[in-house]
Amino acid sequence: LLWKESWDMGKNPMASKGSPLHGPRIKLIEKARNLFSQTKEHTFESKAAEEHAKLLKIQHELEASTKQAIFVDSSINDTIRTCIVLGNNRAATKVKAEFKVSDKRWYFLKAFALATIKDWEALEKF
Amino acid sequence: MAQIPNLEHAPLNLKSIREKSQRELENLLKDIHGNRCLVIDPKLSGSLSLIIQTSKLKELGLELRHLSEEPVQTECTKLIYLVRSQLSFMKFIASHIQNDISKAIQRDYYVYFVPRRSVACEKILEQEKVHSLVTVKEFPLYMVPLDEDVISFELELSEKDSLVDGDVSSLWHVAKAIHELEFSFGVISKVRAKGKASVRVADILNRMQVEEPVNSNDVGRPEVDTLILLDREVDMVTPMCSQLTYEGLLDEFLHISNGAVEVDTSVMDIQPEGRKMKVPLNSSDKLFKETRDLNFEVVVQVLRQKATTMKEDYTEINSTQTVSELKDFVKKLNSLPEITRHIHLAQHLTTFTSKQSFLSQLDMEQTLVEAESYDICFEYIEEMIHKQEPLTNVLRLLVLFSVTNSGLPKKQFDYIRMELLHSYGFEHVVTLNNLEKAGLLKKQEFKSNWLTVKRTLKLIVEETDMSRADDIAYVYSGYAPLSIRLIQQAIHSGWRPIEDILKLLPGPHLETKRSGFPSSPSVDSLHGASNGIADGRRSIVLVVFIGGVTFAEISALRYLASKEGMAYDVIIATTKIVNGSTLIETFMEKLG
Repeated sequence: LLWKESWDMGKNPMASKGSPLHGPRIKLIEKARNLFSQTKEHTFESKAAEEHAKLLKIQHELEASTKQAIFVDSSINDTIRTCIVLGNNRAATKVKAEFKVSDKRWYFLKAFALATIKDWEALEKF
Repeated sequence: MAQIPNLEHAPLNLKSIREKSQRELENLLKDIHGNRCLVIDPKLSGSLSLIIQTSKLKELGLELRHLSEEPVQTECTKLIYLVRSQLSFMKFIASHIQNDISKAIQRDYYVYFVPRRSVACEKILEQEKVHSLVTVKEFPLYMVPLDEDVISFELELSEKDSLVDGDVSSLWHVAKAIHELEFSFGVISKVRAKGKASVRVADILNRMQVEEPVNSNDVGRPEVDTLILLDREVDMVTPMCSQLTYEGLLDEFLHISNGAVEVDTSVMDIQPEGRKMKVPLNSSDKLFKETRDLNFEVVVQVLRQKATTMKEDYTEINSTQTVSELKDFVKKLNSLPEITRHIHLAQHLTTFTSKQSFLSQLDMEQTLVEAESYDICFEYIEEMIHKQEPLTNVLRLLVLFSVTNSGLPKKQFDYIRMELLHSYGFEHVVTLNNLEKAGLLKKQEFKSNWLTVKRTLKLIVEETDMSRADDIAYVYSGYAPLSIRLIQQAIHSGWRPIEDILKLLPGPHLETKRSGFPSSPSVDSLHGASNGIADGRRSIVLVVFIGGVTFAEISALRYLASKEGMAYDVIIATTKIVNGSTLIETFMEKLG
């Protein structure tokens, strides 16, 4: 078990380092997730890997739809903020729902993002 | 002023250690003739700058380069690599050599390992088929004197290595360095250790003494009486708190490295602006020696007072009559550059210390250490994450939370970790895992015993008067560092009276007398007041921090040593000078 644990560890950084090719990268992360889920102690890591893969997929889609390579490898918070800054409220809400972002964090993010683009009107409204 | 500290007033002859290393290096370099280029591992160059001046190296006719991936650009026919034994460096060196071969450049290669060669490194050179082309030697640099009373072993990763990766080679290094000291200053008879690593080091040290005994006839009377070894792991609370001494704050905000800080020229009011400059900080600077260990609030007062008297002197000069008065005045003027330098630095620091976020961080640290209302702290940490404050700051507080509370409740533990990953990116799962492995961030399994430790050792001192410090608690404005309290005990009475408390802290403890040195005087008195006085010098306690020490802790020890009734001088040795942030950073894996 110990041996496997260390192997898992080695796997994961490799997965997050990854290559610019996202397909294989997501696969690698999913593989790591499976390894994590085989042991009881790593439920947390397994969940993290699962979400990471999901996030990468969404970021990939976002990049395709906005034609801007600014999403991949940013955190969930950054992704949401970028969406709001770009005025894409729907996408932002979708990411929020997808990862069950708490309302508290959501308001912080939204306020920050709106302040960045100086959209005081929208800030006042919500 | 030079960056190399003047070691004249050191209680132990540290200058001789520095000179010895200097000589060894020079001899190694003199062995090679011809056009030489010295390629230095960038991390080493800092330590080297404390041993030998670069001008001196140039005098020896050397070209100097930093080691990097890029091939070395030089006309020299002899390349000397001065590196720590790290695998990545071997790859660099091998690729340099292969690059030369492909361009048909003929050169001689020398690899000097600091402090010693490692099998793994040489294996890589063999694999890359360059081993036969290089001459391998060692430069046994085990320690660097940082100041009159501080020695560093320059092992910045030792805490992470031993806690996360189970790599204990750094402990051998520590023991070796202490043994080297024994060769110069005699065998240390009393050893007190606390923590797993410390006990290991004491063990290795004993073995070294058996294998390679110090001949007590050669060194005369032992100068160091007691050795105290302490693991950083025993007290992770202290480094996570913000240091409030002058030197401590300088380190927290500007990061002191190898006895100097780097600041913008604009900070020091020097033209041209926008450049970086190094300001040396060591006890050769009299004003700094006077103020470095004080609480920063007091430092501001001291500086203000100095400036005012200066001004008064200046107005008086108009009425000055005699030449001798004039001479006195000019003498005072000489200290002017020192005063301006520190006024600039202090002013720069206040821009950080007056920030609201710093003040509330302090507030939280205080609350955690006093073990009051964890819920507020938890909410505060949550808010920090939401505000996307720097990850190291968040982790510092979180680790402090976890250590004082012996972990986080399971629900909060998973929640906060997920929030962290969401906010800062999933790649930090490795960091979290490292911290967990090191026991710095964990699920709560049993009730915390921090309250007991805090109460018994009197870690919280109410109503400390900053200007008139009467306890070590002044370095953290009210919190007396656990580590130093332990050392205080170890010096005065040994471990026995506080065994119950020691058992609550991580790792075993050990107290031994090393015997078998017939010529060393038997040392029985606990306070040691009787010995060492004979030749007008106090005997010395060597305190070794395995895993790093903060400047504030050093200040607290200096304060102890200066107190009345203290029969010892204190020399501090550490694997590296750290603060909470640098410590946390070693746990963050750099990816890609």
